[in-house]
Amino acid sequence: MQGSSFRRSSVAGLPAGSGSALPALLLVGLFFIVPVVALLLRSVTDPEPGLQNYAALFGSGTYVRVFLNTFLVASVVTAVTILVAFPVAWMLAIMPPALGSIVFGIIILSMWTNLLTRTYAWMVLLQRTGVINRALMGLGIIHEPLPLINNLAGVTIGMVYIMLPFMILPLVGTLRAIDPMTLRAAALCGASPFEAFRRILLPLSLPGIAAGGLMVFVMSLGYFVTPALLGGTSNMMLAEMIAQTVQSLLNWGLGSAAAFVLLVVTMALYAIQLRLVGAKRAGGGI
Amino acid sequence: MTRPFLSIRAVRKTFGAFVAVHDVTIDVPKGEFLTFLGPSGSGKSTTLYAIAGFQDPSSGDVLLEDRSLLSVPSHKRNIGMVFQRYTLFPHLSVAENVAFPLRVRRRPDGEVKRKVADMLALVRLENFADRHPGALSGGQQQRVALARALAYDPPILLMDEPLSALDKKLRQEIQAEIRRIHRETGVTILYVTHDQEEALHLSDRIALFREGRIEQIGTGEDLYLRPASEFVAGFIGNSNFLSAEHLQTADGASTIRLADGSIVTGVKTTTSFGQGQKVRMMVRPEAFRLTPGPTSAALAVEIVDTAFFGDRRRVVARTAGGDEIDVRPTSDAKEADSTAPSGQRIFFDPASAFLFPA
Repeated sequence: MQGSSFRRSSVAGLPAGSGSALPALLLVGLFFIVPVVALLLRSVTDPEPGLQNYAALFGSGTYVRVFLNTFLVASVVTAVTILVAFPVAWMLAIMPPALGSIVFGIIILSMWTNLLTRTYAWMVLLQRTGVINRALMGLGIIHEPLPLINNLAGVTIGMVYIMLPFMILPLVGTLRAIDPMTLRAAALCGASPFEAFRRILLPLSLPGIAAGGLMVFVMSLGYFVTPALLGGTSNMMLAEMIAQTVQSLLNWGLGSAAAFVLLVVTMALYAIQLRLVGAKRAGGGI
Repeated sequence: MTRPFLSIRAVRKTFGAFVAVHDVTIDVPKGEFLTFLGPSGSGKSTTLYAIAGFQDPSSGDVLLEDRSLLSVPSHKRNIGMVFQRYTLFPHLSVAENVAFPLRVRRRPDGEVKRKVADMLALVRLENFADRHPGALSGGQQQRVALARALAYDPPILLMDEPLSALDKKLRQEIQAEIRRIHRETGVTILYVTHDQEEALHLSDRIALFREGRIEQIGTGEDLYLRPASEFVAGFIGNSNFLSAEHLQTADGASTIRLADGSIVTGVKTTTSFGQGQKVRMMVRPEAFRLTPGPTSAALAVEIVDTAFFGDRRRVVARTAGGDEIDVRPTSDAKEADSTAPSGQRIFFDPASAFLFPA
């Protein structure tokens, strides 16, 4: 509710202050709107005017497969991130504040570490002769190395790791706003821990899950480095395909069309999420 | 002796070296309204939480109809509770909040609907069924919490300072509601508060807690008219304490010498004091008179201030020893003239005073 009222007031305040907002509007126009329009124009003019780039994109089985795979990876990554982040966020929310800020610091620290370094670290851990496979074989749990890299599993592990902070941060905010006494009240009302989670904690944390989930999903859709390094050739993602189209094939028109489709899908998702959260008037705020 | 309905037996709770509750034992008959009264940190909430299952006692037992509750997790104890803060589920409507305990018990829809309607009628919020808790006032929220806690007909209702977040007028209004609901449902209520007026107003019996122990348990009248200790006398109602020296006691009536040297005879006492022992005499503000009665003792004072409150007066007097005395005689027409303090004396019946060891 706080979130929605904040949104309302900022929108209502826009016309009154639009004079002083002019420099900011110019900046947004110059660096965000102009490039997007240029992208759109290029996708319908390069190499010649028409919709042939979009036709190629949706007509070819390969490109459609890349789109579907991109959504598959982003969905799996988002789902796994929510599952892993929820217990961590809950722990952070109920921890004593002093200890909580230390754990928080560790999570933030991982965000500040270079992305490439972290992804290469996962390569070392996940490859056939990597730390994980050798440890498991050494313990006699497996006899053949597990295929953990250059496939969906590798991409998921690497990306979930990178996305976790973006899920944990909004979720902690939402969970902290929930009064723990509410859960005690639910218990005395007869709700088992599972019922209390399902009927009280989960619905109350939905705004945080939605905010974090959308962020993770959208970031995953356009992710390049991790899928390129940890993924396989059979499950290429959109960003990788755009890079190849532009760099190797020098087909700017097709690359622009793919990028524009990605943008439209992302904005549509965002609109849907705003609709859902706004309509439910769910508490907690984003 | 008939078996008690709820029995709290030698419940003790320690946090490290700190003993929050010392071996508290209380038997509660069915249908009683029992209040745990005491200053904060006196162990009253900790005892309540042991019954709710939020904190396991370090030793002792809690028996409901002869069965121990301790091994039963909170959600299976079937106890109702209203909390200090508003603990309604913010994403559910008022009706769904009240229905919640029935839904988790998987009661059929028809029964849930009927029961929710009954409960909302009980707390007089029938027209608010579809509102969300955020759209209700604090008093309304606590009434919904009460309806939710009673929806599954729990044998016991626990209330942990449910009115402390409300303003005075609303508190009195909901106190009346709680009395009515207790009368209509006959549920056994354990009520925690630090407000002695609230305790006197609501309870059948009051257990006064002090530093983890029960200082005295009894009806409001017992605690007010027959306080077992200076602490009880000081906590329940308003009291004036005067230092004195005990001279002798015969037939439960003592003779004492006040600090200014005056002798008072016939002061009620239940304790035996030695000759010359330092004591404290307690006199309720309303026991003082501005005019002498047939058996009254006089106290030489300086009148500092007088005020008229309609049903009674309030006089602030100071003894020669410097103690301030709160005097609240009824505003009797006969006494009206004497409020202009001429004699600089106030009077009290020694039989209405109490002696406690200093």
